[in-house]
Amino acid sequence: MTHASVADSPLAVPASLVRLSVGIEAADDLQADLESAFAASVS
Amino acid sequence: MAGMTDKFETLAVHAGAEPDPHTGAVVPAIQMSTTFKQDGVGELRSGFEYGRSGNPTRIALEQAIATLENATHGLAYASGLAATQNLLYLLEPGDRLLMSDDVYGGTWRLADKVWRRYGIETDAIDLRDLDAVAAAFAADRPPKMVWIETPSNPLMKIIDISAVARLAAVAGAITVVDSTFATPYLQRPLDFGADLVLHSATKYLGGHSDVIGGLVATRSDDLAEKLRFHQNAAGAVPSPFDCFLVMRGMRTLAVRMERACSNGPRSSAFTTPACRIIRPPSWSSARCGCPARCSASRSAAGRMRHDGSRGRRACSPWRSRSARSSRSSSFRHR
Repeated sequence: MTHASVADSPLAVPASLVRLSVGIEAADDLQADLESAFAASVS
Repeated sequence: MAGMTDKFETLAVHAGAEPDPHTGAVVPAIQMSTTFKQDGVGELRSGFEYGRSGNPTRIALEQAIATLENATHGLAYASGLAATQNLLYLLEPGDRLLMSDDVYGGTWRLADKVWRRYGIETDAIDLRDLDAVAAAFAADRPPKMVWIETPSNPLMKIIDISAVARLAAVAGAITVVDSTFATPYLQRPLDFGADLVLHSATKYLGGHSDVIGGLVATRSDDLAEKLRFHQNAAGAVPSPFDCFLVMRGMRTLAVRMERACSNGPRSSAFTTPACRIIRPPSWSSARCGCPARCSASRSAAGRMRHDGSRGRRACSPWRSRSARSSRSSSFRHR
């Protein structure tokens, strides 16, 4: 949503883009979160 | 200690923080006073008069970002966009602004929806195309400022700061680099010829999702004087507590960036058949030999500091193959 302000403008980002802001958590936990999110998105 | 080293990690811990001469406190105090007693009419103590014009906690933060960016002047603002707004005050009605075609949405909104109304035209092009940049500066009304965001948000384009800054300098234009995503830990744009470097301190510099802030650094006395005037005149200054929080975050920037940089590629490399996530778009053209395949190291002249352990991105844009190949894909992201 950070780029909602450029929707329908020349700077609009691809609708197929997924941006991850990756923090300093344990990488295993980040991966588990991604797995969970992907599973939910296709269920 | 900070004055005796050029090691970033040490500078980040100590920059802007000289022990208090009275108490020995090693952390700058949060000075909330809005008004400072004068010893006589116009006789200011240490230059302080009114909190918007100058505040000790803010000055500590401003010195800290100046140190980390190899600059001589630092300026702090209430948000990254407040900092952006202040830089645009350097332009006059009728001036043109050249901008990356992949900048933070708020930057584009400010230029396109606000400053255009005040007579400043913004042209957005792919600043990786140096022929296009040269053509822009050769136009009848060349831009007075070029706004680089590298790595860009969200597509992670890497722009050659030195090359663009050289073209701008020949045309007498100001080069600005929004270095929010790199932070001074990975990239110091002033070392590559930029006139001004800007940060949304809300992101990695603050680092704890608990403060909004903006920072600017420069080596130009002239630009610093103009910005200082507008910082006070327009008044978008951060609170002393916000300054404390940003500075506190900056102390640990190096270790946080190390972890974020190692977590980023690992998360990007993770794939799942359900969504067929493929590589970040910019990696395919990076032609980088480093283990992280990072586009940062593509800039052979060292646009970003890169030694194999640094320069990997902590923020990873992906494209979903399923979403690209089918509009009816069940994969959605906003």
